[in-house]
Amino acid sequence: MTQLSFLDYLAVEGKSPLHRLSPGLKVTAVGGVLLGVVTLKTPPMLFVLYLILVALFFVARIPLKVFLLTFYPLIFAVLFLFISSFRLSFVVLLFLKVLCGSTAVVLLLTTTSYPCVFQILGKVLPSLLVTALFLTYRSIFILLSVLEETQHALYLRGGFCWNHPWRSLNNVSNAFGHLIIKGMDASEKMVEAMRIRGFDHRIRREGD
Amino acid sequence: MSHLHLPDGVFPSWLWISGLLLTMALWFLLFRIRPKEDFARRLPLLGMMAAVMILGASVEIVPIAYHVNLTVISGILLGPSLVFLATFLVNIILALFGHGGITVIGLNTLILSLEGILGYLFFHLLWRIFRRLKLAVFLATLLALFSSTMAMIAVVGLGASHYEEMIHGHSEEGLFDFKLLKGKEGPPAKAHGKEEVHLARFVAIVLPLGFVGWVLEGVITVLITNYLHRLRPDLLGLEP
Repeated sequence: MTQLSFLDYLAVEGKSPLHRLSPGLKVTAVGGVLLGVVTLKTPPMLFVLYLILVALFFVARIPLKVFLLTFYPLIFAVLFLFISSFRLSFVVLLFLKVLCGSTAVVLLLTTTSYPCVFQILGKVLPSLLVTALFLTYRSIFILLSVLEETQHALYLRGGFCWNHPWRSLNNVSNAFGHLIIKGMDASEKMVEAMRIRGFDHRIRREGD
Repeated sequence: MSHLHLPDGVFPSWLWISGLLLTMALWFLLFRIRPKEDFARRLPLLGMMAAVMILGASVEIVPIAYHVNLTVISGILLGPSLVFLATFLVNIILALFGHGGITVIGLNTLILSLEGILGYLFFHLLWRIFRRLKLAVFLATLLALFSSTMAMIAVVGLGASHYEEMIHGHSEEGLFDFKLLKGKEGPPAKAHGKEEVHLARFVAIVLPLGFVGWVLEGVITVLITNYLHRLRPDLLGLEP
């Protein structure tokens, strides 16, 4: 999960030409890539698209370990191969479609912060939905700090180890239970704080 | 495990567009039937539970890339309408994180929210029957995950004709296909295409993998519910 905060850090602190581009342009470009992923039906054209995305990844000076994230959806795409007779053309087409989509999205997220993306989405989505997205994003970081505190307690109770699966499951579940209770308490406090500050069902950014 | 992190570009356009439209329609419907003030009051809670689900989705448990969804426990705590909204938020953020496709956010939301809603309904029904918390939660989770996995298989099955096109690498209506050799091609591959889409094989792989996941998620949900029952029994909304 620390990957999420690391992606956010890269997006905010990055200084590459891609980071300086307007968020609207980048979101539109990702939309264009997705249109390509949906409509292109030949591996060569998808391969060219993928090469362009990989080149942009290195132009944006994003660490290699983040690039590995783009391969994550391949794990699930493998299951789709069982639908076909493992035809090479299908395998290549499927993998290229998956890689183009994931590379474009990870590229967007490492060069544009989540709040900027949500702000762009706010132009087409209902304001309450965008507010809910902002609050979810904020809650992730609140819960991450709770989880960090809980890690010490988990470690003292044996943490997570394969030799003791039941104890490990118990520890993980207690951590999630603790997280839920803390999250609910925090959400009640958040409601009070938002009311006092005059919350009117939407979060305003500077300049609104 | 029940939602397959469905990737972009695999499903026919009519399928994922229908999924998105249906999800947006449900969102608007729920937004209309709930008082705006009540909805706004519950936004932080919605955000928190969505964040818990995202954290759950980011913790991989076994080497088959399995992660818990926590949709059933979220369904029990939030109720059917809010869990739908929470899974929508979760799928948007997970898609932006590279976990699944952007175009299939609608389909993934429908499948995952089905899990949460059925989890809530099964839990309350089984609690009334057995009056045993652990049994009710475990069976509710197992049934909800089985149902959502079947829904996912049904969604994959709806795109069968599209996979045939992808497997054979040519489509009559393709926008970007090169058709210089049209007319000189051999016998149309589509004629024997049906033999090459093996949905049964896909189901045979997904169900056993899914079963491991259902049991694991069931056990974790029981342990979480047990923890909550010890510390905050009011959250579960159990009838006396």
